[in-house]
Amino acid sequence: MDGVHDLGGKEGFGPVNRAHEDDPYHGDHNARAYGLAMSIRATRAYPIDWFRHVRELIEPTDYLTRPYFDQWLQTAMALAIDAGDVSPDEVASGKSAGRVSVAPLRPDDVRRAVTTPVDFERPATAAPAFAIGDRVRTAAHGHSGHTRLPAYARNATGTVLAHRGTHPLPDAEARGEERAEPLYTVVLRAADLFPEVSGNDEITLDLWESYLARA
Amino acid sequence: MSSFDPNKIADIHRHLHSHLPPEPALRVKAIESLLVEKGLVDPQAVDAWIEAYTEDIGPKRGARVVARAWLDPAFKAQLLDDAGAAVAEMGLQGQATGHLKAVENTPTTHNLVVCTLCSCYPFGILGMAPAWYKAAEYRARAVRDPRGVLREFGVDLDESIAVRVWDSTAELRYMVLPQRPAGTEGLDEDALAALVTRNAMIGTDRDLSPEAA
Repeated sequence: MDGVHDLGGKEGFGPVNRAHEDDPYHGDHNARAYGLAMSIRATRAYPIDWFRHVRELIEPTDYLTRPYFDQWLQTAMALAIDAGDVSPDEVASGKSAGRVSVAPLRPDDVRRAVTTPVDFERPATAAPAFAIGDRVRTAAHGHSGHTRLPAYARNATGTVLAHRGTHPLPDAEARGEERAEPLYTVVLRAADLFPEVSGNDEITLDLWESYLARA
Repeated sequence: MSSFDPNKIADIHRHLHSHLPPEPALRVKAIESLLVEKGLVDPQAVDAWIEAYTEDIGPKRGARVVARAWLDPAFKAQLLDDAGAAVAEMGLQGQATGHLKAVENTPTTHNLVVCTLCSCYPFGILGMAPAWYKAAEYRARAVRDPRGVLREFGVDLDESIAVRVWDSTAELRYMVLPQRPAGTEGLDEDALAALVTRNAMIGTDRDLSPEAA
């Protein structure tokens, strides 16, 4: 979707603010918001791209202004309300109308989760269409759903740097469908993307096969 | 069951915006109290998430990986080939290390990591991302003006050094393998690890000091 989350290359933003850079949560309530969001997400193992899309759907002014983990918590609450675990009335009143049937995440589950990498790779169903070194063109348009081709990298020509195996297509996952495709790292010249940029600096993106066509 | 309906979600967000306290600390309190009462959340699990990334998992892990790569060419080769397996061999596997990639700085190249679409970060090996990494300024500017961003971090790159920005758009997670500073011959792994900054592993720091701060 053409939302405010798609920030790459957008102009008008000022200097990077390095305040609190060595404080992992910068504030107790942010820490709490993080732990709550993670706990809520784990109760129903929501697909990661559904979580991302639900965050992208936060009102634009809130997306740009509310604290980071506050947005995670709002996203997790939206997931839980959508799934029927919490009702909008309960949020409005602050009062529980009954206990949920799902089991909450326990501390031991957390300790296991933080030491267990998730493997997103899926079995290959077809040979990859592109090889390392191939010239490819990215899609000219996005769509109103979730996608991982940033707007600044649309309709651009680049070179395949690596084939990364077969991964679930985020666009489908955020619609509740599983469709795996070959994933590539593609390198683009920054000077091809931004008119004021010259020189040989490069940008790489990890892009699914259906985002790409042979150039 | 999730609806996967963006219109329904947008409605829910508007409802949350109207009915939750706007002040972040009060908002968190209101939600936690409701969810604990509903049995959806165990407050001790919340504590466990916080503790994991306060005490145990942080940039010291990544620094150990870098120091080992500086000392052991075979480990460095493995790290550049399959960083997820390399860090697992050190017992440092965690969230977001499953598809970890290490990218190497050289005298003529500089690597910088960003996630323009959200905030993807190898937090299993570097800990929680710094606030600036998740903020709009960095996400917007890192791809378009990386040299300007680097100058704000005190890194003034010569034109002869090429910049490659890694935009983390899939489940791959990137960490930068910085160059070993000159004058550190003879230092052991612990002493070398103390020289490695978190920002050097993101790419917003480059020339590491041969002496620990």
